[in-house]
Amino acid sequence: MRSLVKWGVRLLVPVAATAGLAACGGGGGADLEIYSGRNRDLIEPLIERFEAESGLDVEVRYPGDSTAAALLIDSEGDRGPDLFISQSPGAMGFLDAQGHLLELDGDAFDRVPDRLRAPDGHWVGTSARVRVVVYNANNVEPVELPDSVFDLVDSEYRGRVGIAADNASFVDFVTSMRELEGDDEAQRFLEGLAANDVRDYGTGNDAVLAAVARGEVDFGLVNHYYNARAKAEDPDQPTVNHLFAAGDVGSVVLLTTVGLLQSGDDHRSAAERFIEFLLSDESQQYFADETLEYPVVDGIEVGETGIGSLSEIDAPTVDLARLGEEFGSTRDMIESSGVVDS
Amino acid sequence: MRRRSDGRLSVAVAAVALLFAAPLLYLLLQARDAFGAVRDADIGAPLGRTIALATTSAITTSIVGTALAWLIARTDLPGRRFWRIVAPLPLVFPSFVGAFCFLAAFTEGGLADDYLLRPLGIESQWRIEGFGWSVVVLTLFTYPYVYLPVVARLTELPASIEESARSLGCSTRRLFGAVVLPQIRGAIGAGALLVFLYSLSEFGAVSLLRYGTLTRSIHQSVQSFDESSAFALSLVLAACALGVIALERAWARRRGRIESTGGGRVSIRYSLGRARIPATVFVGAMSALALFGPMAVLAQWAWRGVRSGSSLHAERLLPSVTNTVQYGVIGAACAVAITLPIAYLIVRHPANVIGRGANAIVTSAFAIPGLVLGFVFVDLALTDRVPEWLYQSAPLLVLAYVVHFGAQALRAGEVVVAGVPRRLGEASRSLGVSGIRRFLRVDLPLMRSGLGAGAGLVLLSVAKELPATLLLIPSGEGTLALRVWSATESLFYAQAGFFALALVALSGALTWFITIRPLAREGRL
Repeated sequence: MRSLVKWGVRLLVPVAATAGLAACGGGGGADLEIYSGRNRDLIEPLIERFEAESGLDVEVRYPGDSTAAALLIDSEGDRGPDLFISQSPGAMGFLDAQGHLLELDGDAFDRVPDRLRAPDGHWVGTSARVRVVVYNANNVEPVELPDSVFDLVDSEYRGRVGIAADNASFVDFVTSMRELEGDDEAQRFLEGLAANDVRDYGTGNDAVLAAVARGEVDFGLVNHYYNARAKAEDPDQPTVNHLFAAGDVGSVVLLTTVGLLQSGDDHRSAAERFIEFLLSDESQQYFADETLEYPVVDGIEVGETGIGSLSEIDAPTVDLARLGEEFGSTRDMIESSGVVDS
Repeated sequence: MRRRSDGRLSVAVAAVALLFAAPLLYLLLQARDAFGAVRDADIGAPLGRTIALATTSAITTSIVGTALAWLIARTDLPGRRFWRIVAPLPLVFPSFVGAFCFLAAFTEGGLADDYLLRPLGIESQWRIEGFGWSVVVLTLFTYPYVYLPVVARLTELPASIEESARSLGCSTRRLFGAVVLPQIRGAIGAGALLVFLYSLSEFGAVSLLRYGTLTRSIHQSVQSFDESSAFALSLVLAACALGVIALERAWARRRGRIESTGGGRVSIRYSLGRARIPATVFVGAMSALALFGPMAVLAQWAWRGVRSGSSLHAERLLPSVTNTVQYGVIGAACAVAITLPIAYLIVRHPANVIGRGANAIVTSAFAIPGLVLGFVFVDLALTDRVPEWLYQSAPLLVLAYVVHFGAQALRAGEVVVAGVPRRLGEASRSLGVSGIRRFLRVDLPLMRSGLGAGAGLVLLSVAKELPATLLLIPSGEGTLALRVWSATESLFYAQAGFFALALVALSGALTWFITIRPLAREGRL
């Protein structure tokens, strides 16, 4: 009998503990629910600040851009998140094109220049990043630095370039290339990379940067802030950012964005308060200082990014709404080009 | 009497099977539109790579895991009290983190290159990628799937047979082949099957090693927001799992079942003699590659970051540890308890259709990638057919863990139940002790260490799980593994290193407590 009780207790404890977890972890009751495509370490501090300042209860999940969009694409009814924060415009634009976003209003959004928000008012940029080529200074002579991203298909770069072809930022970069230079040019570029033994690191820009730092490849196509963040941890790392020549699509400006989802209509005022908070001087300064991105409003002091401030960059202008509309077709183009073949 | 309790067992098993079948059924329904597209798409090459990788890894881990288990549990290997804690630990690395650290440690330009080889004037040319290296990395990080059940089995074997063989002049080598191996074959097979299934659904390591398996196609479907293609492709993996289960059953039937009494005697320990040095080098090399190399990378990250002023975010440590322990322990306990009836049914009544069906369903769920299972549970929670509180709640996450890792508990359970002699049940029945009391007083004490091994496997798997946890964990919570992944992704290497070391230490402590201490207390390890 004693053993019966003992084992009964042992089996009951997990059940009771699960029930206890359920009591404290249940969803659904928050003032605002967010799906974040952006990394938790980068955005959580801001969310904690917002909760403290507003007194609102915010729930956040961090599925990543594509996973979030794939989850949201079939969603109906009012269950599910209110806001979506994306790390690149493509996923947001894709949801917009599928009719999943509501129009935002509020004066605060006027702080953001027109070119950094959706023409239809369905989403707004929250910070900006620039595409760069990061290189290993031990293995690359200054004369070897490419003026244009198209140079990377030349034979002198054979086997020396790394990309993260499944990363949303790379997809948006390719869509930008299609918009600015035409589909044929983009197709030729991807096939040229494939023929030039480009090394694909899947979704991970972090893996690309680590490979450049080790010298596994000499060049990596990534967003600008990775290098500065890595060097904050390891100042000895021999990696340097290089910006392509003025107007080259290789250095296109991409955005992190935020948009209100159909399922968020009942929490609209809390959602708009949060968006205003993201665009406040305080949050914009946070992006400049902590995530090392470019603010989307004027008057913020930009920290050390290694390539100057956004206004100094003569980046090509792309219709950001197109990035979402063409996201799927660009994915197809990348997959069929052979750059991810192994 | 006997028939009635068997009937109850079948009902219980059917109920459990239904729990596991629900998400698979949902996958099937959602994927039906995409089957055409999947058939047209060229999945032959990635599928071939997946099967080649899974098969080879299952074979290599069988050899490595069994060798380590034998050396640590049954020989006078120097430092075995240390090795028995260290040996299961490589399983704690989330495969993405493990592979990332392995690369950072051993590839061209990595840590070993900088600190060991270059000072010696050696130029490393290791470019770690492709099939061969994927097998190496998977072997290093998954051999504990074989090691743990084999250790548990080895320590349960009665000393009497081996003693008789030895007194008849049988050499240790022949004794291993003729006496021990047949007794542990079931445990090796169970472990190898887990490695095979794990390798089917593995993504983090193979993507870093640039080896394009079917999981990459699945992830690419998700990247293109194409949920139903991802579902259809993961059903192909489930089909592979079913195929290998059928093979395993056929093999098990042919080989017959070997029962041996467990418990009681302390196992024999063999002297290694002149083999002590190579044996120690082997065990040390495995740990260096699978555990200490990656840990050195993590330590370097933490140290370097602290030196240059990065924050370790130590204030996040305690909540993460608490979450990891909670989900690990609860997930492991639930998985072991829920699958035990199935283990009973398939061992005691191998021909029972319900048992065979349940086994197939539970086992194939392990081949579904965590990301896809996460999708299924989020989708289910977002429909109006389930209560709203379930959405993003802890019980749903625990359920996902049980479904995903139930196969591990079931394999361990099977090995354990097979070790409980049937005549014990008959004896206790003749004494008027039956049903649940017999189970608690006779069977369960005999199965404790084996169930501990199963629970240890599930616990380590839960502690390192990433994609399903990421999608399902209640807001505000975070496991150590999630913190490591998130910090690595945004290049906060100091924090990643610190949390990963904490994960290794915590998993080591928990495995010691659940799996190794019970064996050690009985004087068996």
